[in-house]
Amino acid sequence: GMALVASATPLELSEKVAESIKNAEETCAGDAASGECAAAWDEVEELSAAASHARDKLKANSDPLDNYCNDNPETDECRTYDD
Amino acid sequence: MASCTVHTTPSLRSCCISRPGAKAYSFGFNQRHQQFVFLSSGRRRTVVCSSGEKTVVIGLAADSGCGKSTFMRRLTSVFGGAAEPPKGGNPDSNTLISDTTTVICLDDYHSLDRTGRKEKGVTALDPRANNFDLMYEQVKAIKDGVAVEKPIYNHVTGLLDPPELIKPPKILVIEGLHPMYDSRVRDLLDFSIYLDISNEVKFAWKIQRDMAERGHSLESIKASIEARKPDFDAYIDPQKQYADAVIEVLPTQLIPDDNEGKVLRVRLIMKEGVKHFAPVYLFDEGSTISWIPCGRKLTCSYPGIKFFYSPETYFSNEVSMLEMDGQFDRLDELIYVESHLSNLSTKFYGEVTQQMLKHSDFPGSNNGTGLFQTIVGLKIRDLYEEIVAARAAASVAAAKRAIL
Repeated sequence: GMALVASATPLELSEKVAESIKNAEETCAGDAASGECAAAWDEVEELSAAASHARDKLKANSDPLDNYCNDNPETDECRTYDD
Repeated sequence: MASCTVHTTPSLRSCCISRPGAKAYSFGFNQRHQQFVFLSSGRRRTVVCSSGEKTVVIGLAADSGCGKSTFMRRLTSVFGGAAEPPKGGNPDSNTLISDTTTVICLDDYHSLDRTGRKEKGVTALDPRANNFDLMYEQVKAIKDGVAVEKPIYNHVTGLLDPPELIKPPKILVIEGLHPMYDSRVRDLLDFSIYLDISNEVKFAWKIQRDMAERGHSLESIKASIEARKPDFDAYIDPQKQYADAVIEVLPTQLIPDDNEGKVLRVRLIMKEGVKHFAPVYLFDEGSTISWIPCGRKLTCSYPGIKFFYSPETYFSNEVSMLEMDGQFDRLDELIYVESHLSNLSTKFYGEVTQQMLKHSDFPGSNNGTGLFQTIVGLKIRDLYEEIVAARAAASVAAAKRAIL
């Protein structure tokens, strides 16, 4: 079968989200109205959205039979006929 | 491949390809209109084939994490077929492709990557972080039937990845933070939509999305929304005045002091007088109507459902506003509501209900967000078909004039 190209895992992204939140809190401790503070929280939003997308993708590919049949469409449990 | 240049020719049926050092030649009468174009935009190169059919371009504006992807899935489903990432390309590509529709994410036109924005102290919402010249150039090229090499902004690494080839589809959707910001890009849009999520609902949605995430707390979610708000108000929100349709998502008025964000009041604001777009109406066009469908024909549990329809003014434009507050208990009973709405642009009776049932697992399927997104999808299909028909009629007329 074809090898799937690995995307970032939700776990990897989770680490990044946690890191970026810590960074934003530190950046904003000095000046909460600065551009740097806004940019730091914007990074949190971007990574949180990416993490959520990665989780959704994982959920969408969670059916074991579907995954097996994508790789082995000719097997008994996977064959389908249109007529 | 050798580079080619474009020759603009007055007739649709003849076209030239020229190569440096080669004789320019033109296709015969029966050949499909083809162009091979080489556009230079900075370090990017574009090699192209055009079918001669113009692409219809739709703009969809919304903040990050506000359901653009659900909207896109509903839209592509109306045209039939599922939207998928480009096969065999960058796994972090933001593009979705179906038979008819290609959706590109405007984050791909960031001029500053994550590090660049941090250094300059600007957010992704700031126009200075985006390359509108390239956005305009490439959307225009696609609209003219010319493929482009579009950059990819990688949301995982925060870097700009090598570009991907985008071929001109029948319908191009540009979605993101700034589809209507630049007037040149705005003028290329055949239809535009703005998803307007109220602050209360945005907060509730982000809690649902992020609370389980490590490091996040109510405070961090609030802080992120607050910190982005000045730029959001300055650069994103004003775009809604240009939208042909706005979907507003507000807290319900059926439950006093509700802040769960589960029951929603959703408004579909439709501009009047837009070419190829006839606003939907309830019962009687142009009247003001409040309707509670719950009763013998529609099962509603607490807090029920309430519709409202009226002509209004929105940013000094004449609009029609359709509002739904509450949620459906049984999706199949939506047919009762559908039968009282007019100008839905359905192909058969019950198509709205069928589309909603088909995707009952999508977020918003039991409330106004799913209903109005589906309706806007049908309106876009209608708009596309009318534009194609109008072009065909125009070219027949031109051919007749040429013969006479």
